[in-house]
Amino acid sequence: MKKILLFILLGLLTVFGFANTEEELVFEEPVLITSGGQSPGALQMMVLAKTGGINYEFVKDVEPTAENVEPFNTVIIVVGASGKGLGAAGIDVETEIERLVELAEISKELGKVVIIAQIEGSTRRGTSSDEITDAIVEFSDFLLIKSDANEDGKFSTISEEKDIPIRFFEKTSDVRDILKELFL
Amino acid sequence: MKKNIIIALLLVIGTIMIFSQFIYPDIRPGYGVTETVWLSEYFEPLEGTNLDTPVFIMDSGKPGATFLLMGGTHAREIAGTTSALVFLENAVVKTGRVIVIPFSNKSALSVEDESTDLPHFFEIQTKSGPRFLIYGDRRTDIKDQGFEDPEQYVHDPSGMIIENGAESRNLNRNYPGKPDGNPTQQLAFAILELIRKEKVNFNLDMHESDTPRVLTDPEGNVYEGGRLAYMLVCHPEGLEIGAISTMEMEDMGIPMKLEASSQNFRGLSHREIGDNSDCISFLSESPNPGQERIGEDKDVINDPDYPLKHRVGMHIELMKKLFSAYNLFNGVQIEVNNLPEYNDLMDKGVGYYLN
Repeated sequence: MKKILLFILLGLLTVFGFANTEEELVFEEPVLITSGGQSPGALQMMVLAKTGGINYEFVKDVEPTAENVEPFNTVIIVVGASGKGLGAAGIDVETEIERLVELAEISKELGKVVIIAQIEGSTRRGTSSDEITDAIVEFSDFLLIKSDANEDGKFSTISEEKDIPIRFFEKTSDVRDILKELFL
Repeated sequence: MKKNIIIALLLVIGTIMIFSQFIYPDIRPGYGVTETVWLSEYFEPLEGTNLDTPVFIMDSGKPGATFLLMGGTHAREIAGTTSALVFLENAVVKTGRVIVIPFSNKSALSVEDESTDLPHFFEIQTKSGPRFLIYGDRRTDIKDQGFEDPEQYVHDPSGMIIENGAESRNLNRNYPGKPDGNPTQQLAFAILELIRKEKVNFNLDMHESDTPRVLTDPEGNVYEGGRLAYMLVCHPEGLEIGAISTMEMEDMGIPMKLEASSQNFRGLSHREIGDNSDCISFLSESPNPGQERIGEDKDVINDPDYPLKHRVGMHIELMKKLFSAYNLFNGVQIEVNNLPEYNDLMDKGVGYYLN
């Protein structure tokens, strides 16, 4: 009985803990949307931001400079590695990771809110995508994750271990309402 | 007497050999079709060959966008050909124009699938009685190509090499085609000529791949397929339309992967049509049990997980989403009525929507 109460208490603390952390964050426009791995997910995020009425700019492979980040209050990195996308950009995954780490570092130095989003679900999980996530997650203030991308618990574990608030959603189009809720 | 029998027998065999490769598929256009032409009208050298193929025009008479629907690039991918038939036999275009090529590589339709022992014809019941769907091959009939496959396939003009020389007969490796090239290159060129001359604004090339099922062979080797299944590949110009369409597909319960066409892998319709014309090009993939790498008794019509009606429903619903997303970016440009709803297709079957 005591154990059950303890579990309930822990559960409540966890829920309220995350909720409070999310509430403390201030999500402000304008938003810079960029790709983390050059998959089409970033473009889907752009379409969702556009149709959600968010003030955003979409630069798929933004160069990591203070000048490029400064005009924005929030940076959304949409993680998803695509061989085709990386090939089209003429880069490999290592180069992409270097760019993203630098971008995340600069964003944090400038006091921007960094959101890591995985909106393509389980089909966009894989070694390269996970390497990208692992490289930049420590700079993240908020995780926006499609539920079926978390079948192995990767993102919930990150959230717990690194104390990063997380929001799950079922369908990609749900992100539109979440963006409205966060920014408007 | 014996001599006569032998001559008669030779005549019969000869006739079969000569004509067996020429197949005119069973197409019963609906009221929405306003004109029927042949692809050779856009590129004359195809005339009289087994690569010439019928083209159906569905013109609303009301100015708008022109959409090209292509089935049968790979003739064994029957959800593509059947979806094109369902469209032709039911749809009514209210704004703009739709051009349908239901059997893009008719030569490939005239031969059986060389990679399986599946039959060439599948009987299905329709509202007017039994009808046969043709299960062809992935590539142009070698007899129509006119020469043996090279050791390697070299794409023109990029010079990209594919080790399997038979791919020189694969229509979807031969775009943008070549007017003085081999028959498959000429076919690709003819389709692009149609696109350019008719000022097609966007197109969908319907394909099938293996299914996402995990399969184990008798030796215990595990095969996980479906990398391409439920995918929409977009020319970079069409990625925004594709992003909206795939999200809407997910909302209705058929999640699809979105991919941009590769710059490096050449010859595919979604890349070369977009690069060589003003047409925004898309390619869709549904899961066909007949294309699984292992297994026997594959049921390409009534598979419990991936029946034909589901696959046709996927392509038809995707078309609708592409139309509405295209209109979102361009104002109302294309309107098509009378296409079956996915749930109705699942309830009533494909045959209900074939004349």
